[in-house]
Amino acid sequence: MRKLNVRQICFWLAAVLPLSRLIVYPATLSYRAGGDLLWPALCNLLAEGAAIALLLLLARRTGRTFFGLLRARLGEGAARLAALLLALFLAAAAVLPLLEQRGFVLQILYENVPSFLSFAPLFALLLFACTQSLRALGRAMDVALPLSAVCFPVLLLLALPDADFAALLPLFGRGGKELAAAALHSLPWYTGAPCLLCLIGNFEYENGCAKKVLLAYAAGGAATLAFLAVFCGVFGDIAFLQHNALAQISKYATALTPLGRIDLLFIIALTLVLVIAVCVPVRLCVDCLENAFGGPRALHAALVCALLLGLTVLLDPAFREAQAMLSERMWPLFALFGYALPLLAALLLRERKGRTGIPPGVFAPPRRRRSAPPAVQAGGADRNGRTG
Amino acid sequence: MNRLARKALLFAAGLLLLLFFTNNFGLIDIQKTAIVTAIGIDAAEGGRFDVTAQIAVPDASGADTAGNVTVRGTETVGGAVAELNRKTGWFPTLVHCSLILLGENIAKQDVFRALDYFLRSEYVEDSCLVALCEGSAADTLGANSPIGDLASAAIEKVLSAEAQKTGLVCVTNLRDFAKGYFSEGKSGFLPRLSPLQQAKSEGGSGQSVGGQEGGGGKAGGGENVFDASRTALFARGRQVALLETEETLAYNLAVSGTDMAYGDVRLQEGEEEVVYHLKMNIGKKSRRLRLQGGEPVLEFHIRARAQVVDASKAGTRTEIAETAIVPDAVLRAAEARFEEELRAAADKAHAGGCDLFALRQELHRFHPREYEALQGNLLDAVRIVCDIRFETMR
Repeated sequence: MRKLNVRQICFWLAAVLPLSRLIVYPATLSYRAGGDLLWPALCNLLAEGAAIALLLLLARRTGRTFFGLLRARLGEGAARLAALLLALFLAAAAVLPLLEQRGFVLQILYENVPSFLSFAPLFALLLFACTQSLRALGRAMDVALPLSAVCFPVLLLLALPDADFAALLPLFGRGGKELAAAALHSLPWYTGAPCLLCLIGNFEYENGCAKKVLLAYAAGGAATLAFLAVFCGVFGDIAFLQHNALAQISKYATALTPLGRIDLLFIIALTLVLVIAVCVPVRLCVDCLENAFGGPRALHAALVCALLLGLTVLLDPAFREAQAMLSERMWPLFALFGYALPLLAALLLRERKGRTGIPPGVFAPPRRRRSAPPAVQAGGADRNGRTG
Repeated sequence: MNRLARKALLFAAGLLLLLFFTNNFGLIDIQKTAIVTAIGIDAAEGGRFDVTAQIAVPDASGADTAGNVTVRGTETVGGAVAELNRKTGWFPTLVHCSLILLGENIAKQDVFRALDYFLRSEYVEDSCLVALCEGSAADTLGANSPIGDLASAAIEKVLSAEAQKTGLVCVTNLRDFAKGYFSEGKSGFLPRLSPLQQAKSEGGSGQSVGGQEGGGGKAGGGENVFDASRTALFARGRQVALLETEETLAYNLAVSGTDMAYGDVRLQEGEEEVVYHLKMNIGKKSRRLRLQGGEPVLEFHIRARAQVVDASKAGTRTEIAETAIVPDAVLRAAEARFEEELRAAADKAHAGGCDLFALRQELHRFHPREYEALQGNLLDAVRIVCDIRFETMR
């Protein structure tokens, strides 16, 4: 498995991950929090940012992957079990984005009523992405950044003249319980930390890495909040009716009247970024299965993609029920993997620092300069990405 | 994985991505799709609806012709769209529906009984225009238009953003109307469309606008133009009042996105009443609800510049040369007229229970503590203060 560049992690957090929260999430949040939708979103972003900071701390202390660390600390069986559980979680976490994207593509990009087959090629693309090295995913992030950086601000700018930010008032109009429920039920859209957990050890930690990654995450979070504010400003009391938020906010721009909906060009470009976004949990799910069972990677990839295809077909007619199940009943699972697991991982491994059981090099200070020759660490990944 | 297999996979992925973004597997052929450009909804007996769809039929020459199909006595608008499919064999796509026209009778009940279909469906854009028409919507959509075969296209021109900018029409789209309906004020407004029959002159080239002929239609072989300068006001989805042309203009100048408009001011000069036709340019406008000792006060602060475009009396050479300079008396008369029309619009709306200036929403947003106590009687209790100043446009 070849390593990612820190730059690509930053691109993922700044330009890819936030987009996956801009389809159904704004309407759901608006339904629960009304004009106060920024507060639960801010809480979730801060919590996820804290989890990411903890993971960066862990990455700073070790050059190993999460499973490599578990293997060294708790043994092979525990590492395999953790990998299996994380794989199941990531597969579950990929279901909602897939269903959202299916609805988004078929409702926004098609004028007629398309068949399900129109969306099925995405799974072949996912299979392809899962069989490639991590570097391929990194290159996809390199492609995604300019697309997002151009298209997302254009959509926001087109929507700005229609936005009435007074719709965000009164502040804290909803009660604390409602806002807390909104934050908790939004957890299925905050799966960045478990994904990053699978990525530690798969990118070179260098000086200033944490600062860069956290800044990138903050930029992505600010973009999400800005979008939510504009979304609420444009739609006000009917915001919760707008399920495909990314494609809705810009369509009222008067500049589009003589030209037609040219904003669809930007929306299509961002749909491509959404495809890359959904590749991340699926790809990492396959990695986890490989860690759990070994064996041919292509077989795991085929199994995961077939499972997701099956789930998408099964849940396709019942999107609302699936969303309700994931967000209202399964949110503790997302809290466990999204926030508790990174916290536990960082605390557990920090607590045991210097004690027995950890081979030398696991907590080796990684304060290497960018120009320093890449070191091959004991049990870690070498330059060609072969993990120990 | 060898290089050839990787290239093949990459090629397959590219091909599949292409399919992903196109409609190669679409269930419904474009030939079987009816492109609906406008929907007209009228009230029928027993709370039912008559739904008329204006369908664009492109012919071989590329010109658009329209066919209107009406489904009568349906209980829901969604049911009518489905029946349209059964009647014509076309599957109606509403993605291009840019106008929803409501017949006069339907405004006597909650219009959202009909309109919420368009909010429920993901395949209908809520950026489409909504208007109320005199008579029936079916007749209005069947009217001959001097600018082509699609009456909906002619109506959309009347309801354009440019018309809104000049204050002639209160343009509303479905999103804005729904926002008002679901807001604290539960109010909104729609332009009221009146077809005016335009008779063809004997000579062929000259045309003259006749009087208002209710119902539109194709009678007499004449063509229809549409007037939307009056505005229907709604509370809880029912029409409660009608703003006349001057009141609509005053509302647009004070509240909506109108920056430049034309209007008449009458002034008694000696024994003669002179009408000045002014061009008005709004420089600043603001509207604020504040509480003064517990009393709600709605303040309008408007600064405008005016220029005489024409007058009903013959001007002297100097007056014509200095047409940009508006006499002080005309400016004061313009201010008084503006305030009078604005107050008339507010009185009409508030008497009918229509929260035209979104006062309840503003109270809820900016004075949430006083909201519960004041919102019930807000429209009756509010005192309107106008600070309107006109200057000469130089």
